[in-house]
Amino acid sequence: MTDPIIEAHNLTVLYGRKPAIWNVDFKLPEKQVIGIMGPNGSGKSTLLKTIMGIIPPSTGYTKVYNQELDRVRDKISYVPQRQEIDWDFPASVWDIVAMGRFHKRGLFKRLTSEDNDIISDSLQKVNMLGYAKRQISQLSGGQQQRIFLARAIAQQGDLFLMDEPFAGVDIATEEMIIALLKEMKSQGKTLIIVHHDLHTAQSYFDHLVLMNTRLVACGKIADVFTDQVLTDTYGGKLTTISKISQELENKEFPIRHK
Amino acid sequence: MIFLQSISTLFSNDYYTFWVVAAGAGIICFAAGTVGTFSYLRKRALLGDVISHAVLPGVVISFMLTGVKDSLYFLTGATISGLISIAIVDYVQSKSKLKPDTILALTLSVFFGVGIVLLTKIQHSGNGAQSGLDSFLFGKAASMSLHDVTLFSIIAIINTICIVLFIRPFSLISFDEEYAKGIGFNVKFIKYFLAMLTVITVSIGIQSVGIVLMAALLITPASGARFLTNAIPKMIFYAGFFACISGIIGVFISSTGTSMPTGPWIVVVLSSFTLLAIFFGKEKGIFARMQTRKSNQIKINNENILKIVYKTSKEGTISVPIQDIFKESSDKSIRLTLKRLEKNNIISRVKGMIFLHENGKIAAREVIRKHRLWEIYLSKYFQLEADHLHDDAEGIEHIITPEIEKHLITLLDRPEKDPHQSEIPY
Repeated sequence: MTDPIIEAHNLTVLYGRKPAIWNVDFKLPEKQVIGIMGPNGSGKSTLLKTIMGIIPPSTGYTKVYNQELDRVRDKISYVPQRQEIDWDFPASVWDIVAMGRFHKRGLFKRLTSEDNDIISDSLQKVNMLGYAKRQISQLSGGQQQRIFLARAIAQQGDLFLMDEPFAGVDIATEEMIIALLKEMKSQGKTLIIVHHDLHTAQSYFDHLVLMNTRLVACGKIADVFTDQVLTDTYGGKLTTISKISQELENKEFPIRHK
Repeated sequence: MIFLQSISTLFSNDYYTFWVVAAGAGIICFAAGTVGTFSYLRKRALLGDVISHAVLPGVVISFMLTGVKDSLYFLTGATISGLISIAIVDYVQSKSKLKPDTILALTLSVFFGVGIVLLTKIQHSGNGAQSGLDSFLFGKAASMSLHDVTLFSIIAIINTICIVLFIRPFSLISFDEEYAKGIGFNVKFIKYFLAMLTVITVSIGIQSVGIVLMAALLITPASGARFLTNAIPKMIFYAGFFACISGIIGVFISSTGTSMPTGPWIVVVLSSFTLLAIFFGKEKGIFARMQTRKSNQIKINNENILKIVYKTSKEGTISVPIQDIFKESSDKSIRLTLKRLEKNNIISRVKGMIFLHENGKIAAREVIRKHRLWEIYLSKYFQLEADHLHDDAEGIEHIITPEIEKHLITLLDRPEKDPHQSEIPY
């Protein structure tokens, strides 16, 4: 593979003693729409957060553009999970999207008129410019997702990490996001999307990471999206892996023999 | 009169001390209100309680070490033990499975318990200078010296300036800590800086309202301010402003009687302001919501009458005998509604007949159109018997906004007839 945009090496992330991600290695190609899929609690969101440096890995590392995260952070746009936010927070749509410019301006500097133009453009792209002054508590689920997307666009990254952008949104929003993803891909952006709907996976993604705490498969969608791999990923509710994880948690075994 | 007199005497020279104390309390409360806004926004209301109780051992130990009652030493001791309590809460939270409320309650009681034990110990040690240390429990604003007031005010002002400067990072971590981390902000530093400002504010705040009521001084202003505005900068200002006024009024009330405690009065005044905000806040206040409900009811009554007039009037005439409306309508305030419509020049009443004006006609057609569109929508997309459509639409016809109506028309492809074969008036 030429120039992987993201590389995970020997990556393990623990919550307490329980592994959320366990010995995962993969490389992801640039300028593609890449899905990360797996059952609930399989470590998909944790993987995104580890790539973003929000959760530190217990062992191993992830690299973006083959560099230290802090040197390339400006190139990454992030769309967190909408459900984890308190939407009753006193802020307008504009306030939220403006956060996408904060990394450029740091802790104190005022936003410039250039920033304001970028914010308007981003809102325009998700059809929410008319809502700029609206309180975020008045938004529907789909609109919430749109402004998170607008905020990520305002970050002007080359790599977009999105956590379940299609969860609980209306059809119109889903279609709009898909159109936007295609447009961004054609502009040479890389899009990495945590997703859980198997029906749409084939039409949305070029490349797929399937995981269930450990990596099950990673590759071009045509090679990876097979009955066998899907059964391996989703088969059975209590798979062997989660039984072992539970043992580690309950009996305080170390994950590695030392 | 007595009240006015007591106010006028306040401005005489004898009341120099009063103004010193009032100014001090006002500034301290302002600082608490502003920094407390972020405790409120981060849903850390209980943390304020923990900090204020946790500063007690610090205060007592600083007295034991130095042997003098100096507010600078107290402040230092209080700040250190407050910061330790926060560090402990954070550490236990990251290392154990205990729930946050358990950790907060435990830390609070352990620190406060230790503080009380130490306090009792020095009170029995016979050291004459210890008297008055227990005033930290309920505050001792009235006995603040000019030296204290100056020191506290300077710190409170610096604190508030820091809050204003850091409004962006503080707001950001209050909304979404992980995102802040993701875009490269040093969240740990920001969090501890905010915590430090909170601890310092608490350390000076307990001088006026005392340990037990300090949490109220942090959280109450912000919870009231939330009802007044939806913007964080304004919220901070309102919280600080009302806290400041409450501080001054509290000091004033307590100065009118010999055994009136300052701290509790400040909190009582503050709570009254907050109650007022909860009732009279625009948009979110209880009163405003009642108002909205009332105007909705008026809209519904108006539209129902217009609909009846339009429907019962024969082709081309748009006039109806009043009795017919009484027959058709179940509305009890029908006379009121008619009077209102007449006043707004939508209908006129001539000799027992009601005439619908052009704007009334348009409004009536609009309601009927919305009603029928909704019936079509329901019958097309949901399993609903034809005789159930009408009741549903009776309610919804008043709610449909112009945008939703437009959306319905496109969605249903501008239908001509409703499910009961009545024409849709466009």
